[in-house]
Amino acid sequence: MILRVVLTLLSHYRRHPGQLAMLLVGLWVASALWSSVQAINATAKESYARANALFSLETDQLARSDGIALSIDDYFLLRQAGLPVSPLLESSLTIENTRLTVLGIDLLTLPASNGNSRTTANGGSLTEFISPPWQTQLSPDTLQVFRLDRQQALGATPSIGEQRLPPLTLRNDLPPNTLVMDIAAVWALFGEQATLSLVTASGALSQPPEGYRLTRATSLASPEQLTDSFHLNLTALALLSLVVGLFIVQAALGLAMEQRMTTLRTFRALGVPGKTITLAILLELLLFGLIGAALGLISGLWLAGKLLPDVASTLSSLYQADVQRSLALPWHYWLGSVAITLGGLLLAGSGVLWRATKLQVLALGQSYAWRFSYQRQLMRMLQAGGLAGAITLGLATCLSLLPAGEGLVVSFSLVAALLFTCALCLPPALNALLQLLQRLLRRRPLGQWLAADMQLQLPRLSLAMMALLIALATNLGVSSMVGGFRLTFLEWLDQRLAAPLYINATPSTLTPLNEWLTSQPEVLETLPTARGNTRLLAINSAMENERNANESALLSSIAVFGISTVPTLTSQWPLLETFDGIPRAWEALAQQSVFINEQMAVARALQPGDSVLLETLQGAVWFTVAAIYPDYGNPQQQLLVTVDTLMQRFEGELASTGIVLHSEADTDAFRQALSTEFDLSPDTLVNQQEIKEAATQIFERTFSITRALNGLTLGVAALALLATLLAQAQQRQRQLATLWALGVPRATLALLPLIQLGGLALITGLLAIPLGITITWLLVAVINVAAFGWRLPLQLFPLDIAVMLLTAFSVALFAAALPTLQLWRTSPRALLNEETQ
Amino acid sequence: MLALQQVSKTFTTPQGQLLVLNEINLTLARGESLALMGESGSGKSTLLHIAAGLEAPDLGHVVIDEQSLSSLNEPARAKLRRQQLGLIFQQFHLVPSLNVIDNLTLQARLAHKEDGEWSAYLLDRLGLAGRERHYPEQLSGGQQQRLAIGRALAVRPSLLLADEPTGNLDEQSADTVLALLLDLVKETQCALLMVTHSARVAAPLDRTFHLHLGSLKETKR
Repeated sequence: MILRVVLTLLSHYRRHPGQLAMLLVGLWVASALWSSVQAINATAKESYARANALFSLETDQLARSDGIALSIDDYFLLRQAGLPVSPLLESSLTIENTRLTVLGIDLLTLPASNGNSRTTANGGSLTEFISPPWQTQLSPDTLQVFRLDRQQALGATPSIGEQRLPPLTLRNDLPPNTLVMDIAAVWALFGEQATLSLVTASGALSQPPEGYRLTRATSLASPEQLTDSFHLNLTALALLSLVVGLFIVQAALGLAMEQRMTTLRTFRALGVPGKTITLAILLELLLFGLIGAALGLISGLWLAGKLLPDVASTLSSLYQADVQRSLALPWHYWLGSVAITLGGLLLAGSGVLWRATKLQVLALGQSYAWRFSYQRQLMRMLQAGGLAGAITLGLATCLSLLPAGEGLVVSFSLVAALLFTCALCLPPALNALLQLLQRLLRRRPLGQWLAADMQLQLPRLSLAMMALLIALATNLGVSSMVGGFRLTFLEWLDQRLAAPLYINATPSTLTPLNEWLTSQPEVLETLPTARGNTRLLAINSAMENERNANESALLSSIAVFGISTVPTLTSQWPLLETFDGIPRAWEALAQQSVFINEQMAVARALQPGDSVLLETLQGAVWFTVAAIYPDYGNPQQQLLVTVDTLMQRFEGELASTGIVLHSEADTDAFRQALSTEFDLSPDTLVNQQEIKEAATQIFERTFSITRALNGLTLGVAALALLATLLAQAQQRQRQLATLWALGVPRATLALLPLIQLGGLALITGLLAIPLGITITWLLVAVINVAAFGWRLPLQLFPLDIAVMLLTAFSVALFAAALPTLQLWRTSPRALLNEETQ
Repeated sequence: MLALQQVSKTFTTPQGQLLVLNEINLTLARGESLALMGESGSGKSTLLHIAAGLEAPDLGHVVIDEQSLSSLNEPARAKLRRQQLGLIFQQFHLVPSLNVIDNLTLQARLAHKEDGEWSAYLLDRLGLAGRERHYPEQLSGGQQQRLAIGRALAVRPSLLLADEPTGNLDEQSADTVLALLLDLVKETQCALLMVTHSARVAAPLDRTFHLHLGSLKETKR
């Protein structure tokens, strides 16, 4: 019996293929975007897990207190003192634009907790690993860098310049783009270019040895922690698409249910038990869910495959986190994707199931009092909107109580709650507006019909309009955020890169080079920079009295950046806040003051005028914070001082030198002279333009996935509207045919749906503008601060807003044009003779 | 008032060409009522739609109030329909988004011929007084059909075209609605062309025609 019921229910879609298409499209897009983002996240997590296993968080690191790089003597000294330290040599090489990390380990002394201690656990020979010609261990997905497949890989010795790597051997647990070999092999390949670090098992040393600093494993951020906010952003966008897709599904199911109500009542009248009907609908939902999940998974994986390389580049540029370029999906991914689609479908179909269980046989043949049930629905929406509004307010209050830079999840929840509040209030607002319009247009029968008919269509259109509002507002919010970031970032680059030419050389080259530059007549100004580290020991804030930096702050070092306070730089260097005006801030920097980047100001709750106690070569010294400067894209907290201060007081070294030449100087000749004098390689001299281009490229790549998901979400909403309108196109024709019979010319009739739907979409679009601006503000001023530690100025782009409105309007016009076209082509006789439902 | 001259209409069906109307001639004077009978599928509704200008004949002319529909373009035909014709359908074709009073006056307002007193009178005569603010789905089938009659008459048409106006009603309701319709037609002195398959419904009308195999024949009483 149940099979007969299911088949009869499904036969509805033979007569209404548009509804079936709408249902499947909704499920497909909801599942596709969600699956694609989850595939990207799962692949990234898998890479992070491998990285964590390798650079285990279970090992502490030792560094010299005086900031000088560790040498082999340090290792000998510590081993002679009986300390259980193990040396690690690290270097890198670039092959076909891919940076590979080369890690040299000493298996005999490496703490057992480190992932590398498993090097030979897979049956490999210890002797082969530690004896020449050694081994190069790498994960299978790194092979593509060498253009090798698995068969060719074993024992291959790819060349790197004039040398060759030790024979390759595969190790599945290694992160992508990482080569692991014996410490002697790395020394043979890179010599002193490789950086030595010393590790020890976590907790093996309770105190750092005299003259050394111990960085605890717990204070080291894993790639997963660093990239959390990035993946949360992606998940939020995917969740939005899922919700928008499910809106379509709910609209399609509601429409199908409404039209099949007579069939269901007939079944009941014919003796089919209510439970069988409910079960049949459930089976139907399951069938659609499985089809939708399959379609979504296939297209989601395709999309993820397309987006993953850009995401991997972004993660590498932003967080130095290596993610493989091909998808690696665990079993729970597949199960999760199907479960999400089915769960979403059941959620969207819960209303339909509820109506099926409450089906009254006696209502057989009764026409549906849509108006009244919709009034109840509107009231429920308003109540739910009120509840969502209260939650929004609660979250906003909660956020305001949290320290700045915290509450990423709360911020995203706030955006979601705000979107839902507005979406839920949209249908009641539109209903009220249409009611008012009906009154105002009382003397204009067609106008009154327009408004009244629109009000009647609202129950079926409301979900699509809600989806459209959410998608438009998000689209506006995200595009304004990205656009604003782009402008700010480019402007900031212009300000920070004051010199037309930069030299990135080793400190030993830069010191004589800077002296040489001062004697060159072509040189107008030199802008040396330096880098170093310090430790923040205490804070004296105006808000609170003196407080010690917390435990993790004490253990983690703060980057120090040194610049020269020459007018070329200071006149352009952007400052967000100063204690006593910009000129006084620069004067203060030349004395006992520091500037801090916004990330540090947010993380440490510091303001200009506060003081920080820093570890210097002369001991602990209080510095006044004179200003806060923007430092977009930097994941680290940073202090800014003059180069002189840095070199005298902190552990650091020269990093680069910017050169400003006289306008009449021959730049090419100067570059040539400079290269010859100091034997500089071509890539040491960097043109300002090249840096800007590289930075802009990274920027564009960073937001490519955001843009893609943003555009797709809007596309989904457009589909929702289109599918909803198409699904009820037949009924629209009947309404229009009646008007035509009453003497309304066809040309006027053709305009009516365009005015109705275009107007409704335009109103929704207009309402999306303030909501979108609010979301932009939340993104740039709240979420960005929580995720990255810096805020962006709120910038709006009228052209983007116009495009958004035009998109909404165009979709509505396109959807409205189809029933009109059908009306034009269908015999009115046929329409008038159709049975009214 | 209405003249159909040599009107022919053929439909293309999967089985081939189907001649539904074959050189039909018919005239209807103002104040006259005419019943058009025939079997299902005989082309009664098609003839009515052609008379209303909703459908164009393949051959022949339709003249309403001395205006040939074939000489009018679509907007002009719509205007004529709006101002001079009243249409009543078996399926009522009320506008579900409008309440009773707005439905009743819809065509009159479209034609800029709204007459409040006449509308109120019609509502009263149709037994819909007090139901002005109700929506079509809140009315019974008989009430909906009465409302459809009211909408057609509110414009004070010179020609009323009714397609099985009582076809969806029970016998008692059908009698009431028909009596009301004929009363109002008499009052307004409009011409009435009514399609029906019921001899009982056709009986009170002035003349009765039968449509059979595309040809029209008057039934003598």
